[in-house]
Amino acid sequence: MSGLGVESRLERCADPAASGRVVLDASLTKHVHEGLTVDVALRVGVERVVVFGPSGAGKTTFLRLIAGLERPDSGRARLAGRVLCDVEAGLHAPLRSRGIGMIFQDDLLFPHLDVAANIAFGLRGGPRAAARERAREVAALCGVEALLRRRPASLSGGERQRVGLARALAPRPALLLCDEPFAALDWESRHVLIHRLRAAQERERVPLLHVTHDPAEAVLVGERLLRLDAGRVVADAAPLDALAAGRRPSLSHEHAFMNVFEATVETDAGGAFVARLAGGPTLHVPKADLRRGEALLVGVESDDIVLAAGPVAGLSARNLPTGRVERVVARGDEAEVIVTTGAARWIVSVVAAAVESLGLRAGVEVTMIVKARSCRILSREQTAASSNAGAMPHRQSPS
Amino acid sequence: MNDALYGPLWLSLRVSAAATLLVIAAGAPLSFWAARTRMRARGLITGLLISPIVLPPTVLGIALLSILGRRGPLGMVLERLFGATVVFHWTGAAIAAACAAFPMFFLPAKGAFEGIDPALEDAARLLGRGERSVFFDVTLPLARRGLAAGAALAFLRALGDFGTTLMVAGDIPGRTRTAPLAIYAAWERRDLATATWLACATSVLAIAVLLVVERSTSTLLGSRR
Repeated sequence: MSGLGVESRLERCADPAASGRVVLDASLTKHVHEGLTVDVALRVGVERVVVFGPSGAGKTTFLRLIAGLERPDSGRARLAGRVLCDVEAGLHAPLRSRGIGMIFQDDLLFPHLDVAANIAFGLRGGPRAAARERAREVAALCGVEALLRRRPASLSGGERQRVGLARALAPRPALLLCDEPFAALDWESRHVLIHRLRAAQERERVPLLHVTHDPAEAVLVGERLLRLDAGRVVADAAPLDALAAGRRPSLSHEHAFMNVFEATVETDAGGAFVARLAGGPTLHVPKADLRRGEALLVGVESDDIVLAAGPVAGLSARNLPTGRVERVVARGDEAEVIVTTGAARWIVSVVAAAVESLGLRAGVEVTMIVKARSCRILSREQTAASSNAGAMPHRQSPS
Repeated sequence: MNDALYGPLWLSLRVSAAATLLVIAAGAPLSFWAARTRMRARGLITGLLISPIVLPPTVLGIALLSILGRRGPLGMVLERLFGATVVFHWTGAAIAAACAAFPMFFLPAKGAFEGIDPALEDAARLLGRGERSVFFDVTLPLARRGLAAGAALAFLRALGDFGTTLMVAGDIPGRTRTAPLAIYAAWERRDLATATWLACATSVLAIAVLLVVERSTSTLLGSRR
């Protein structure tokens, strides 16, 4: 059953137009320097597209070309029926009329304005009351209602990016661009932000182009992944598939791929902590003062998983989820195996010899062997909760 | 009120205030231009604009006289238009002080504009703002500390101007004799009491202006945090 779901997802990724209206239709090139020419053609509907690749792959340049912050050498782009640029016709829409919201790695909040004024900055013109209502709405959506009177300098990195998101969304842009906005944040803040970003994108029905070089973030944010290498698209598919397809060294700066799952703590007693992955199996996770019902972000590196083709017994590892091989991507003497357990999809790295000796191919049932200690808790709900703690009204005793 | 004691002070205030307004009116657009232009002559023009710092005040005075004097090109136009001369008049003193004080405003203002991340202005444009709004709602507010500091320095420089004012406006008691000129005149006639009183009053005024500006901008003395 899950196979069907995956297929329909792949289909949609191959042709975004099938799932609905194409909102952004861009085909742009720019020579950046010797060795990097960005040449990307892309059609995007109302969906979350991650633009992924190593540094220097041209991700940010591509985003800036669409935003109009840089001029393309050739090509054209249309957004929601309007021309953003058409080099041959000599057309370049000015930044102010592009209808594009953007959030940046160094947030670029206006330091002389408080949070409320930052959010309202793009809401000039039109009735005042409507603008106030809209500002309140996006502030709530991004969880910054408690910060409205603060100046950017007094905010944490995560708070600043939430304000940046609210500011970008306020004028109801036709397209939201995120240029590595979470790169400087730890996983705790990142998890909160990814949550907000997804919720906001779904609420606002706005197409999203999100640049990152972090594969885990790419999987959490994206419905579709556009993989760039040396300025060109090398893969355009569902995130996990596009990640598995590429060369290993460009997967990430780290040595392995981090499988990330949202999970809920199911057992917190008897010295064992068990978390249920969203739509997937349960995992024993390392001991921590977790509470039942608490939401987690769990990461398991692709190198830390052992695959077994037959029954396993007598192991010290606590986690033995069974799944089905969806496909095997061979690359030299290594291979990435995509395994599905319910709705959860995993990338497992194995040596090429194991593919043959275990007979790994699509449809084969496998057991994954994962030590509890290999399940890293990247982030916990308490972070998400505490980031909203300020929203609670301060009770004042009558004097 | 004793005119010998308060007259020059009051005139100095008036001349310096007028000079500061002139400096801001010319210096704000010029410093913004100098901070942003990619013109090749930028260095040369900037050098000319800050030359009053390196020129002796008397040299600047001669230059101004040759332009503003009754036979100077600008002086003739002014005389024909308004039937008035600025030389040997308090407006001449204001213009002289403004020229001497101009770099004191221009340099910090240019630095303030240069210190603004252009990406912030792009962010404002992406949020739908036109160039006018970008300048008045982002650029100018972000540069305001530097502009205020420059205005204060220009005012203080104008307040203390001696040589240029003397050359252009002369030393006419009650008309162009500003505090620094009055101090010298009093000292020359061995009226040490008046000289000392004016010197103290001028210093108090200068320090007061400095403190007021420092309190609101915290840029000149770096007392911020």
